[in-house]
Amino acid sequence: MSHTITGRTWVIGDSIDTDALYPGFAMRLPVPEAATHVLYDLRPGWAAQVRPGDILVAGRNFGIGSSRQVAALLRYLGISALVAEDFNSLFHRNAINHGLPAVTVPGVSGMVTEGDVITLDLEAGLLRNGDTEAAFSPVPPMMLEILDAGGLLPRLVAAGYLADPSGKDRP
Amino acid sequence: MATLLDKIWDAHVVHRGATGSDLLYVDFHLLHEGSSPQAFEGLRLAGRTVRRPDLTLATEDHVVPTRGQLGRTGVAATMVEALRRNCAEFGIPLHRSGTEGQGIVHVIGPELGITQPGRVILCGDSHTSTHGAFGALAFGIGTSQVEHVLATQMVAFAKPRAMAVTLHGALPTGVSAKDVALAIIGRIGTGGAQGHVIEYRGPAVEAMSMEARLTLCNMSIEAGAKAGMIAPDDVTVEYLRGRPYAPTGKAWDDAVASWKSLRSDDDAEFDRSVDIDVTTLSPFVSWGTNPSQVVELSGAVPDPADAPDPAGRRAAERALTYMDLSPGTPMREIPIDVVFLGSCTNGRIEDLRAAAQVLDGRRIAPGVRMLVVPGSAAVKRAAESEGLDEVFRKAGAQWRTAGCSLCVAMNDDSLAAGERCASTSNRNFEGRQGRGGRTHLVSPTTAAATAVAGRLTAPSTLETA
Repeated sequence: MSHTITGRTWVIGDSIDTDALYPGFAMRLPVPEAATHVLYDLRPGWAAQVRPGDILVAGRNFGIGSSRQVAALLRYLGISALVAEDFNSLFHRNAINHGLPAVTVPGVSGMVTEGDVITLDLEAGLLRNGDTEAAFSPVPPMMLEILDAGGLLPRLVAAGYLADPSGKDRP
Repeated sequence: MATLLDKIWDAHVVHRGATGSDLLYVDFHLLHEGSSPQAFEGLRLAGRTVRRPDLTLATEDHVVPTRGQLGRTGVAATMVEALRRNCAEFGIPLHRSGTEGQGIVHVIGPELGITQPGRVILCGDSHTSTHGAFGALAFGIGTSQVEHVLATQMVAFAKPRAMAVTLHGALPTGVSAKDVALAIIGRIGTGGAQGHVIEYRGPAVEAMSMEARLTLCNMSIEAGAKAGMIAPDDVTVEYLRGRPYAPTGKAWDDAVASWKSLRSDDDAEFDRSVDIDVTTLSPFVSWGTNPSQVVELSGAVPDPADAPDPAGRRAAERALTYMDLSPGTPMREIPIDVVFLGSCTNGRIEDLRAAAQVLDGRRIAPGVRMLVVPGSAAVKRAAESEGLDEVFRKAGAQWRTAGCSLCVAMNDDSLAAGERCASTSNRNFEGRQGRGGRTHLVSPTTAAATAVAGRLTAPSTLETA
């Protein structure tokens, strides 16, 4: 399976917290509706401008805060990957578990301007933006397996750790 | 040469993964209505059952009203109804709102004696770090992991690194665990403990009550830590004795004996160490929009120009715009509209007692709205039996029923745009307490004194105010 992702970028700042990504009031809404409120205050109207395949690029300490499933909203909007200078660990883990690639690329905020089309090679650990490149730690095999399966639970089924009596699992 | 983290981790490894991720056994799994519906939906779709409903417990806290009854219609009712249906279908004990065992998940776990030393305790909620105060390994998980734990009673994780935060000296009078937590986060930052489990150690920790330790561990997540923990001691054992879920008879004696071995060895090596002298600390308050943007209450709003780097300066500028504050303004001159006393950080009986002591015989300032929201129905009963509710009411505060309330603003308790709140909760993110609302994180006694003065104030300066 290809582990290369190409997409148009959105660039947001440092310490973007889960309440900015998934506000408390949206926790009471179904995913399609909640997704319209991602970054509601920081970038009003952003959700409507996202196109499937877009990549979200953030600064330091991305996703501080709660365990709320921001990745579900981002995936619903069509975001194909997250890139940041560094991630909050709970947020990072949640993204992978929802099948959303999330890679730590030190220096990324200095080399991507919003709207740039970048390519991520998860397996090789390479970000390419036009003529510039940046290396990052390749995504470990276990995480690739989870991403390939489409998330943690499908991965557990695929590995035989969980039975799949219904004969179908969720994407 | 093992740390407390090593000992608990190793005792729970079911399978060591080749790629660095271990499969851990989970001793107890806590649920609330906010983080569990999709997990149950996943179980149902795949035709799975809950592996250990007897090691699972649910409560209603995030969306429940703190006055009046839960409505029959509306989003909150739907979420609570979903949890009730799920718990009934899968055989999970549920503490419903309005019943005597209900409360914030991180308040009732310890209260019931579920939170015990050496356990791995998980919940789909970031403040699960609270339970580490008992020498448990407790951390928040996401919805897909909630589903994993429900189905298997296990979770896969790469082992975090160990970080020692040692608190030297004795806490001065009027300085609480909350002030210490804010001071630590102010020093190391919201990413300062990224990828680590913090073990709090030292004389100031040993001298803390169980409730103060819960406050300290609760805030670990705000420093970016995976979890916080404190080695169990006599304070821990005495807190647990006689609790509903605590062992009894010989099982109790055996448990206490094994708990005593749960401490980092003297020669244990930590990946990182931070030392803090608490003797010079004073009450802290946040001025910005993340929990590392704090100053001493006796200080002033900082100047973004003094930030150590351009990113810090931009963050400070944005925070000051959102908070509508100017550099150099003394914190004690900042007027407050709302005071919130409660949450899994500071909604326990000791927190309420400390605030009531400040409010006793005083009135809150005209124009200030103060909500006192006990962390659990049991805390509420205890407070009422001590007459604390009367103290709060006479002072002009609202005495509510248990829930997360204004900490997360997912029920009807929220700030209006532009309102400024002194809050004993844990997060001051933009919009956290309501869209456009402004949050200053404080301790319970600072919250109470602030309500009286109508501006940010510590009790020590109240008399002369």
